[in-house]
Amino acid sequence: MKKTLLVMFLAGSSLVVNAQKEKYEAAMTELAGVLQNEYEKSIMPEINKMERVANAEAKEWLPQYWVAYGLIKESYTTTNTAEKDVLLDKAEEYIKKAEALSPKNAEIEVLKANFSSARLIVDPMTRWQKYGALFEQHLAEAAKLDPQNPRVDYLRAANLFHTPEAFGGGKDKAKPYFESTLKKFETFKSPNSYSPVWGKIEAEYFLGQ
Amino acid sequence: MKKLLLLLLLPFLTQAQIKIRGKITGAKGEGLAFANVSLLDTYDGATTAEDGTYTFETDEKGGFRLQVSMIGYHTLIKEITLGSENLTVNLELKETINQLNAVVVSAGVFEASDSKRMVMLKPLDIVTTAGGNGDITSVMQLLPGSTRVGEQEGLFVRGGSAQETKTVIDGMIVQNPFFSSTPDVPQRGRFEPFMFKGTAFSTGGYSAQYGQALSSVLLLSTQDQLGTHTSTTASLNLAGTGVSHTHKGWITGAVYYTNIAPLLALVKNRFDFETVPQGIGTSLTINKNLKRNSHFKLYGTWSDNVSAMNLPSYDTAEESYRFSNRNKNMFSNASWKYVFKDETWIMNSGLSYSNNKDNLEIQDYSADRNDERTQARVVFTKLFGNSNANSLNFGGESHYISVGNRYYEYDFGFDDSYSALFAETEMYFTPKLAVRPGLRYEYTSILGESNLAPRLSLAYKVGQFSQFSFAGGRFYQNPEKEYLYVNPGLTFEQADHLILNYQVIKNKRTFRTEVFYKKYDRLVKEETDFFDPNPYRFPAGKTSNTGKGYARGFDMFFRDEKLIKNGDLWITYSFLDTEREFKNYPKQLTPTFAAKHNMSVVTKKFFTEISTNIGLTYSFASGRPVYALNDDFKGSELTKPFHSVSVMASKIKQTSNSFLVFYFLVDNLLGRDNIFGYRYSPDGTERYAVKSPMKTTVFFGLAWTFGKLNGRSKEADLNF
Repeated sequence: MKKTLLVMFLAGSSLVVNAQKEKYEAAMTELAGVLQNEYEKSIMPEINKMERVANAEAKEWLPQYWVAYGLIKESYTTTNTAEKDVLLDKAEEYIKKAEALSPKNAEIEVLKANFSSARLIVDPMTRWQKYGALFEQHLAEAAKLDPQNPRVDYLRAANLFHTPEAFGGGKDKAKPYFESTLKKFETFKSPNSYSPVWGKIEAEYFLGQ
Repeated sequence: MKKLLLLLLLPFLTQAQIKIRGKITGAKGEGLAFANVSLLDTYDGATTAEDGTYTFETDEKGGFRLQVSMIGYHTLIKEITLGSENLTVNLELKETINQLNAVVVSAGVFEASDSKRMVMLKPLDIVTTAGGNGDITSVMQLLPGSTRVGEQEGLFVRGGSAQETKTVIDGMIVQNPFFSSTPDVPQRGRFEPFMFKGTAFSTGGYSAQYGQALSSVLLLSTQDQLGTHTSTTASLNLAGTGVSHTHKGWITGAVYYTNIAPLLALVKNRFDFETVPQGIGTSLTINKNLKRNSHFKLYGTWSDNVSAMNLPSYDTAEESYRFSNRNKNMFSNASWKYVFKDETWIMNSGLSYSNNKDNLEIQDYSADRNDERTQARVVFTKLFGNSNANSLNFGGESHYISVGNRYYEYDFGFDDSYSALFAETEMYFTPKLAVRPGLRYEYTSILGESNLAPRLSLAYKVGQFSQFSFAGGRFYQNPEKEYLYVNPGLTFEQADHLILNYQVIKNKRTFRTEVFYKKYDRLVKEETDFFDPNPYRFPAGKTSNTGKGYARGFDMFFRDEKLIKNGDLWITYSFLDTEREFKNYPKQLTPTFAAKHNMSVVTKKFFTEISTNIGLTYSFASGRPVYALNDDFKGSELTKPFHSVSVMASKIKQTSNSFLVFYFLVDNLLGRDNIFGYRYSPDGTERYAVKSPMKTTVFFGLAWTFGKLNGRSKEADLNF
């Protein structure tokens, strides 16, 4: 009897654990998909959902990563500049949480570069000095940690694409980086269904411009 | 046993969901959209709708915490118990103090900064403004509240003399912010604009952290470390050449040689030089993030300049005298910032030493000017309260000053030790209302006296984009050294300020207006029965602190960053009504450095196709009073009004590892012969107009940076 009970207990608890894991994976896959692919409407509801997951799964770095990613993306579409900074202030908190859980992570360095670029865009003429330097620094760090990460080349390309030619940017300068982004995506394998895969469709879009 | 089984299976059996719904509101009962309502430790929750309502389902049972979070509001947590009944939970959120809703104390301060919110200018504006010639002070002269005085360097703020404005770098008073004075020829500032990440120009009512300035302080804060790259910059222009090298982003050394001979050869001028102004200089900057919370900066500069010119003596039209100067100047400042672990305590400390020597020869008589200042300063900051938006600053500073002037057989000088303690707190009662009271205590050994100066600022936000602000207080300053040489028995000069400010910043448009009243008291007055208008005379007579005066007026600033694409437009106007009885004025008179109306229009535009920035500036000042030798002060003559149109263009070319800037500027394009005042012959029968030695000035040069930039590029190395 005792044995049966123990077996039942173990089975039951592993069932609970499995159920929890399944629930996590399902929620993450759905939300990471929307956060990366939605370009039409506000993703604030999905950011909120991801924040709930992030709070419940305080030991996982990916939910923290996705909250920050979502907030950065939302900041690009907001028109009020003060609001952009408030969104980014919150993104910064989640970047710090993610980094504390997973230090020396190339994806987080890429996100930090993306974050620097978002800060810069709020007021390019004057923030160029500080955030331009940070952008470069984080990308270099990411490339050092994972030379095959396609998002390093993608961010560099997108940044060049938006920089005027006089400042060393332009479409032509960006092109080889967009191409190498796609090349790296050929061999890139995401470890699971809810890790970052962004950069591919965006690179394809820019190359079509 | 059965119970245990049931317990194990419970998670799979209970499927009875309940609904939690409610409304999330702000302080006034308004519904808040996009708030995140979450049942902590679960994924359950909802985002509120436009009207603040939410609803979600959960299968959880028992005690849980319901959390509501939203950007711009404090997160709220409520304990709830989940049973079999649906729940309604309505909650009210409290606003945080953030850049979307907080008022900013703005009265009496004009800031150019990258990081702070609601600033009027950006650091880049200083180098892209035509007529500013890349000189910080010249750009500040285009702002409301200051008067353009063409014959002398310095900032003349709201009826105050140039001596009433102090220049402060990272909290340290700069003894000699300008190149050495030459009669009737204004000098440039010694510091290049791109050394600084922020510039704050006070038009009065400034913080208790600073003192010894009756009118204004110009606060400059140096750059932090940006990046870790190595680069070299070479520059060449009509007035000199220089090279600077930055190693791994943290240490920069520079050497330069200046000589204005090419400029004089190209531009028609009235100068009569025996030795063309020339000199060498060098500087060292160290900027290092030490450990996580600690930052060290060191800046040191040394220069050696010579010049000799013949200046009109005003005895007869033709006569002149020789004025030569060899100036050696050094300024050094080390500062250390430490942020304590919880990030609510911050310490800023600094140590500075400066030394300036002028070896003058005035008509075969040798003369010297020496000054030396050693200063130390420490300020502690504590952040507290709602969103850590409140702050308390307290600290002290101590200076040891030694000054001396020698002329022929006269030898004057004194030592002074000056100390101050200050405390100031800025508190938000609501995000809309901020109050900043402060108190400053000073002691100076030369006067053997102390003073206590209260300061107060308030700000109240009246609309989403508009606010009122008030600043006031008492300000003290030691009498000028020329008076103290002869009479160390003098006391502090004082001024009281009242400023009311209103501003709207909306949609890349800024409107700002200020009304002010300033009362001067205990100004130094000379006892003479003969009025000599020569500003360079030595006041050797009897003096006392019996002078007084006032200044009142208003100014307006309008800026539009939308009207011109990739461009900018500002218009400023200041009205000033001031009179004072001081120096050798026998009664209350409008001082010769005060113009009733000042106006400027500044425009600029960046042309992307040719990567060139073009700026155009017009400035105007109404006539300033003219007082004759032994004047009876019955008439009221004014100089002709001042007009000037200036243009500048800078072209930028960047490749992967080099960066080139070419700049070209023309000052006083229309060649107007502005008159700044008159000098009189000794018998008073003849007078000679003081004019700018160059009518239309043309200037150009380039700066070329090789190597990876530390984000510090653009027009960063415009070395005018």
